[in-house]
Amino acid sequence: MENKIIEKRMQKFLIIISAVFFILVTRLAYIQLLQNDKFSTLAQENRIRLITIKAPRGEVFDRNGVKLVGNQPVYTVSLVNLGRNDTGGVVKNLAAVLGMDPREIEQKIEQQKRLYEPVQIAARVPLELVTKIEEQRLELPGVVIDIEPMREYPNGKLLAHVMGYVRQINEEQLEINRNKGYKPGDSFGQTGLEHTYEEELRGQDGGRQVEVDSMARPVRDLGVKQPVPGNKLVLNVDYKVQKAAEEALARSAQEALEQGYGEAGAGVAVAINVRTGGVLAMASYPEYDPVKLSGILTQKEYNELFNSPSKPMLNRALMAYPPGSTFKMIVAMAGLESDIVDPQEAISDPGYFFWGKTYKDWKAGGHGKVDLIRAIKVSCNTYFYQLGLRTGINRIAQIAREFGLGMKTGIDLPWEETGIVPGPDTKLQQRLKYLNVDARNRVEAIIQKYRELLANTTAEDERKVLLKKRAEELRAVEWELDWHDYDTIISSIGQGDNRYTPLQLANYAAAVANGGTLYKPYLVQKIIGPGGKVLKTNAPVELGRADVSLKTLALVREGMREATLPPDGTAYGLFAGLPPVAAKTGTAEVPGHDNHALIVAFAPFDDPEIAVAVIMEHAGHGGTAAGPVAEDMLAAYFGLPLEGKERVVTPE
Amino acid sequence: MKEVFEVFKQSRLLKKLDFTLIITVIMIMLFSMIIIYSATKPAELLSAAGTQVSSGDPLSFVKRQFFNILCGLAAMGFMLYIHYEDLAKHVKLFYILNLIMLATVIFFGNSAMGATRWISIGPFRFQPSEFSKIIIIICFAAFLAQRNERLNRLRDLIPCFAYIGLPMLLILKQPDLGTSLVFMAIMFGMLFAAGARPMLLAGLITGGLSLASLWIWSHLWFKAHSSFNIWIPLKPYQLERLIIFVNPWQDWHGDGYHVIQSQIAVGQGGFLGRGLFQGSQTHGNFLPIQETDFIFSVVGEELGFVGAVVLLLLFFIIIYRCIFIGVNAKDNFGYLISVGVASMITFHVLVNVGMTIGIMPVTGLPLPMFSYGGSSMITNLIALGLLLNINMRRQKILF
Repeated sequence: MENKIIEKRMQKFLIIISAVFFILVTRLAYIQLLQNDKFSTLAQENRIRLITIKAPRGEVFDRNGVKLVGNQPVYTVSLVNLGRNDTGGVVKNLAAVLGMDPREIEQKIEQQKRLYEPVQIAARVPLELVTKIEEQRLELPGVVIDIEPMREYPNGKLLAHVMGYVRQINEEQLEINRNKGYKPGDSFGQTGLEHTYEEELRGQDGGRQVEVDSMARPVRDLGVKQPVPGNKLVLNVDYKVQKAAEEALARSAQEALEQGYGEAGAGVAVAINVRTGGVLAMASYPEYDPVKLSGILTQKEYNELFNSPSKPMLNRALMAYPPGSTFKMIVAMAGLESDIVDPQEAISDPGYFFWGKTYKDWKAGGHGKVDLIRAIKVSCNTYFYQLGLRTGINRIAQIAREFGLGMKTGIDLPWEETGIVPGPDTKLQQRLKYLNVDARNRVEAIIQKYRELLANTTAEDERKVLLKKRAEELRAVEWELDWHDYDTIISSIGQGDNRYTPLQLANYAAAVANGGTLYKPYLVQKIIGPGGKVLKTNAPVELGRADVSLKTLALVREGMREATLPPDGTAYGLFAGLPPVAAKTGTAEVPGHDNHALIVAFAPFDDPEIAVAVIMEHAGHGGTAAGPVAEDMLAAYFGLPLEGKERVVTPE
Repeated sequence: MKEVFEVFKQSRLLKKLDFTLIITVIMIMLFSMIIIYSATKPAELLSAAGTQVSSGDPLSFVKRQFFNILCGLAAMGFMLYIHYEDLAKHVKLFYILNLIMLATVIFFGNSAMGATRWISIGPFRFQPSEFSKIIIIICFAAFLAQRNERLNRLRDLIPCFAYIGLPMLLILKQPDLGTSLVFMAIMFGMLFAAGARPMLLAGLITGGLSLASLWIWSHLWFKAHSSFNIWIPLKPYQLERLIIFVNPWQDWHGDGYHVIQSQIAVGQGGFLGRGLFQGSQTHGNFLPIQETDFIFSVVGEELGFVGAVVLLLLFFIIIYRCIFIGVNAKDNFGYLISVGVASMITFHVLVNVGMTIGIMPVTGLPLPMFSYGGSSMITNLIALGLLLNINMRRQKILF
């Protein structure tokens, strides 16, 4: 064998092999030296993630510094979309660990298609489960555990309706708040103060830059931007009064049920600082658990909260109710201010009033000789039927508005109802809804016609003629479209179209007590930054001064004071041991149902500080069902114990 | 007396060991153990709840690979003590045993990832297709040595194709496309060494590649455009890998993922690398099977261009020594074995490294003496032991 040939052949062979190595080295040089930047960027995108550190929401305190709402760290479990094909297995494993339905998790990740973005699967995950997940990390690629501050309620359900609840922001809210930096999965105040003060409470989320592995599990911290907690709120609410109110509502609702009022079980109480409009307590019953609403709700839980007949989600303090006899002070003041009545002038009450038909007093046989103060004390219907009729509905409505009735108070809570002050226009509006299409069209044509005619006339006489003609035409369509004397008569005892919110009633009582100044009720006294700096102090806002003389107010107050006194004040027996209280009970008829029980009160009589309004739905007499709630609140306010006190039963 | 003479002869022979080759191999293996350690070191995860997750023995792969190396070195040592010329006498037996072994895999082997490649014997699993490579080199060397340079016409090559083709088809049946291609490389390399006309071989390679491309292309075209289906001797996943190789970015969260993650790893390594044990692609497990098929990516990422070139240089030295030994072999049989081994190692390096840097499709060929795995390690050390043997006996010993 000739070595020369072999050597030559092998030289060629070596050249081929060298070429192979040359290709490899060239390619290496290309991607490592020339394209290094590109691949470094890609590697960074692979491994560096910005993880949000949720800011704790601002804490909330009562006027004395009692913490009402705080935060606690909870574990959350999220799933990161890794763009892998084995997500189904991960979902199954995770569902098994968390005890959830895999379909529920699938639905959640359905909404999030973007790569590497986490979707929160569960919040408030207990430590045992967290440990379990961390042990099974290798089988759970993409599952991420975070610590997130969530709302903590040291007093349970206390103040739930005022505070509202926090929940993941929904699509609609995201759309509305597009420019405010919200992301899906962020917390958002859904109702109450959490909603009104969302901007103050939310704080600023921080961020953590971490290096992750291919399964999105953090390997190393690269840098942290601490979150800024939300601002603290200091409320006007007095924890003691609030607690007393909520306990008393629950007890009173239970008692009403036990007494056979089958539809009872709900109630509302409001206490206001007479001198500022600051809300000392606002309680609505039944309550709900805000913790439950922050997490995952089953369909059953959802129905119990949102579709149950007792409507626990409603803040009843902002819903309009018929005021019943608590409205009588308005009629009294309207009469006095119109000089229609001499306060000393007494009528003789036979137990009914006849005006086209018979209007009964609540007390068969009547109250005998009744003047204005006594009429308030014993809540004499006969007296107010006559007084109202003589005063006229327009004057009554005007005074009602002077005291803020039928108008939104402007409190710092969402979804406040307006209420209804009775009168020809409101009646027409109310009844219009029940007309058939044809009749409604005719009525609208009439209204339109007279609106133009009235706009073109200035003369007072002519206007009166036109209004009279309009009334006639409306009556021709439907008798009940027009205002009649009996409307005035029943409105004078707080029935008919009258609808006011408990908040309005409390505020009206406060204005009567303080000499006619109507304040805007407000919950938040101070906003304090995370560093302790007071950012904002809410001063009392005067909405106006009722155009009522001090003498008139004093007379009405005197009547309310008498109501708590023997022998026959409707609120007599309540408030024993308290500083002198003035009150007015009410029993509002609800056609087809049991009456609502109401009371408004203020104290101390001589130098009022606090005004309250209480309504117990379908619970019978005001003094019996609502009175004790007011009593407990006042006692709590004045720091007096009320243990083992006998309950009173009042007729009205 | 005879035994004394044997010992004397052996020790004289041992002095003629190719120490360059041995040292280079040891360097590669030490290098590999460091990289396997890096590739299999469990990542330390941050824990939100502060719980410690036990991660097992970080050295378990390194220990097992060390055991593989010891086995390989024992086999290598054994190869030194036989007369390689004697192997030529038993090639028929080897050839038939090889066929039986490969057939056994098909019928009794263990499956993984759609392929049947392993046979279990007790606690050990071995991959016959690996050993098959060295057997076929020996057999084909003997086959060609007998034919003695009559390889100038295509007609002369056909017996050669048949000889290699039979075991190759059995491997293709597993299916192990990579090893089948290694057989082709070995065959062409040895044919060239045996004196086949280079232009003829080049023509065959070019023609074969073109034909294969056309086949795959038409298979895809007909699949996409008509109900007519052209049969193709590839499993769907193999086809996928081949297509993905052309453009990995089109499906980079699916089939292209591994190809791209590997290139990212190597690419971000830059000139000096991110430092040993510092590769984010490696330690974040973005790299697929990084202790075996994609181990070169770890070198590229952590040690950069410099580390990668050093490793390639070590391989080049080995291949160079193989050729050197071949040229100086005392007979054609030894010469052809050397070229066969050189072809095998070259092809493995080309395909494995090429795959990690995106110029070769993913076929699952390990990097010789570097990837984690016993069968491959032992096969390569047997092959190199054979070469040392050839080198020791390169000159006629005169008494």
